[in-house]
Amino acid sequence: MVLLRFTLSEEGVNALRDALACLNKFSDEVSLEAKRDKLVFTALNSSKSAYAAFSFITNRFFSKYQYEGVAQNREKFFCKLYNRALLSLFRARTGDSLHDPEKGGSVIERCDVAVEDEAGKKSRFIVKIACRNGMTTKYRLPFEVSPPVHAKFDKDEAIHSWTISSRTLRQLMDHFGPGIEYLDIHSEDDSTVNFTCFTEKVASGDEVLKKPLHTSIAVEKEEFDSFDVSEDKLHIVVSVKDFRAITQHAAFLGSEVSAQYSMPSRPMQIRYDGDGVKCEFLLMTVGERGAPGQRTKKTRAGARSAPRAQQLEAATSRATSNAPTPAPRPTPATRHDDYQWEPVRMNEDEDEEEGDARLEWDASDRPNPSAVKMSSVIANQTAQRRGPGPGPDNSVEPDQALSYLEPTQRLSQARQFGLFND
Amino acid sequence: MRFKTNLKNIQLVGALSSLEKITWLRLDDEHVRFTVIPDTGSQVWALLPMEFIFDSVQLQSAEAQNTINLELPLVPLQRALKSALNATSANLRLTKKDGIPILSMTIQTSTVAQGNQGGGQGSYSRFSRGDNGPGHFAGGFGDGDDDDGVFNIEPLETHLHREREKIITQDIPVRVLHPDNVEMIMQPKVREPDVHIQLPPLLQLKAISDRFTKLAAASSRASNSATATAAASNPKLELSANMHGSLRLSLTTDTLDVTSQWDSLENPELDPSQLHCPLEEHPSTIFREAGPDKWASVRVDGKDWSKVLSVGRLEGRVIACFADEHALILYVYVPQHDDVQGDDCVVTYYVSSYSA
Repeated sequence: MVLLRFTLSEEGVNALRDALACLNKFSDEVSLEAKRDKLVFTALNSSKSAYAAFSFITNRFFSKYQYEGVAQNREKFFCKLYNRALLSLFRARTGDSLHDPEKGGSVIERCDVAVEDEAGKKSRFIVKIACRNGMTTKYRLPFEVSPPVHAKFDKDEAIHSWTISSRTLRQLMDHFGPGIEYLDIHSEDDSTVNFTCFTEKVASGDEVLKKPLHTSIAVEKEEFDSFDVSEDKLHIVVSVKDFRAITQHAAFLGSEVSAQYSMPSRPMQIRYDGDGVKCEFLLMTVGERGAPGQRTKKTRAGARSAPRAQQLEAATSRATSNAPTPAPRPTPATRHDDYQWEPVRMNEDEDEEEGDARLEWDASDRPNPSAVKMSSVIANQTAQRRGPGPGPDNSVEPDQALSYLEPTQRLSQARQFGLFND
Repeated sequence: MRFKTNLKNIQLVGALSSLEKITWLRLDDEHVRFTVIPDTGSQVWALLPMEFIFDSVQLQSAEAQNTINLELPLVPLQRALKSALNATSANLRLTKKDGIPILSMTIQTSTVAQGNQGGGQGSYSRFSRGDNGPGHFAGGFGDGDDDDGVFNIEPLETHLHREREKIITQDIPVRVLHPDNVEMIMQPKVREPDVHIQLPPLLQLKAISDRFTKLAAASSRASNSATATAAASNPKLELSANMHGSLRLSLTTDTLDVTSQWDSLENPELDPSQLHCPLEEHPSTIFREAGPDKWASVRVDGKDWSKVLSVGRLEGRVIACFADEHALILYVYVPQHDDVQGDDCVVTYYVSSYSA
């Protein structure tokens, strides 16, 4: 039985692909939640320090959208998909047209998606892609019916906010080099806001030259469309990788980005809208109140703040697992016409597709983290695909990380930690 | 020191970084010298006049001629130079932060606020999205003595082009080298070349070289033996040139034999005043007299050669000097666009070569 059916135009496919590519930078899995009026894609990263949600307004975004629902739950349908598989359907063709205009005919013209789910039958996410050259391809993807985990954000608590053009923000981020871990945003005085990057990796001796470029940018407050932070010199620190994933996507849409936050170790919300899509992210901020953010490893004592410190600890453990990252990766922002001067790549023919994929995400940061998290739930699905890799959560604090937020736990249990809601 | 950054600087650093991640930078009163010496592969010596990179320099060093020797990573340097592109001003300072020496670059840029800055200032975003947006405005300015409402645009334009200043600080980690550590490193000395020839457009040469390199890898994969795969990772290309304007690139493996030849290239005249021997006795004269069948050849590593050819992004004139069965040196002459009087900068590549 088809319980959900929708059609995407060429622009719709592009917008969805951009969204999926962005989600892919947070997690291998993407959760889909369908209602009559909106279709929401979400991802929560393995250390639960970053959450991304793209909400598509069905009557504006889709050419056609038909939601039937299931008998058990008329209101909404949800499932989880392996994002790389989903993303590759859209990427395969559109990527070509960039490099080779002659293949422009293989640009996706239309995409029909149907979700089937029925007792006794295999559940399938069916994607039918029609290309401009007349070729139609049909894909069936397996999915798992499991509720998405949404991160919770307390708007009332987040008294600080700013908004800025996504283009400006992207330009700022472009000044940062590879290899950095954290971004510290704070107002310096009445007229300037400072963006500084730093890393916790320690370098000594010959390693000194491998330290990443240390960048600090003083921006006039005027550059922001609004800047409403009542507390001076409030250092708010987030992961550069997550922040960059957001700014890159936001720049595609060219809209205005707004951020809301309260204090270090509490989540920061970043929002922006596109045509028929609302994008929302929650990033756990690092550090302690009053401290300049550098002391991320320290945990706070005291029963009340314990869960918060743990959450923070989770964010840190993920980041520190990055530490052995070798020398800075080549800047992904290679100018297009510069490409031809790059040294010869021997196996280009074979792994061109892989190479494209690699540009899109940070390979150094994925020792299959979500395989660990999800292993108990979808073991039968993923067993043949990948074993439970040495997840960062595991290696740092095995018992805490595992018992802490298994997707199978009750939501009421999760709620007490402050970040999660239904 | 105030320095000027332009695309050439960035491209030079980019070209160098394809060979090695770390450079030795030597500054003195007159010159800036970049030296890149990888563990294996070709080395580069780039001697640039101070004006190529710096506007005004204050150097103070205990060494002779105010020499400062630094070791610094190329990728961060390239990134920092990119930030400085189109800057209003840029300063470079050797300093210490937390006890670690850094090259600190302070960049002032002013960005022009664009029309599509977002809905917050909806008053003009509406205009910029209009169907007859910029074109209409431009036309309006052309016939400015009309009174059809053109003057409404003026405050709008000022608002659009309001400049906002940013100050970017880029700290590049460096190591200050003691002169004793570097005086042993000498620029290689090579005998007078047999053939000197101007290379064809490097992008073309690189495309064909890379194709050959891949072919070599593919053909030995096909022949599929343990020794062949070892050779496949480092395929060797043979480069030959004569004093009659021809350059030849060839690849020979067990299963294939390909050659590309360029003709009508230029063999530049030598300046007799620069030579240590009379022009008639110079090896290149002997090669020229021996006719077009007299080739000077060297073998290069395909992958290393590809990295060397990355210097093409500098758009300079490249003269290749062949010492037959011995050495290959490339002199890349980079024009200084903003200074017609200034001498070209020379970037010298000592291409690592192999015997047959």
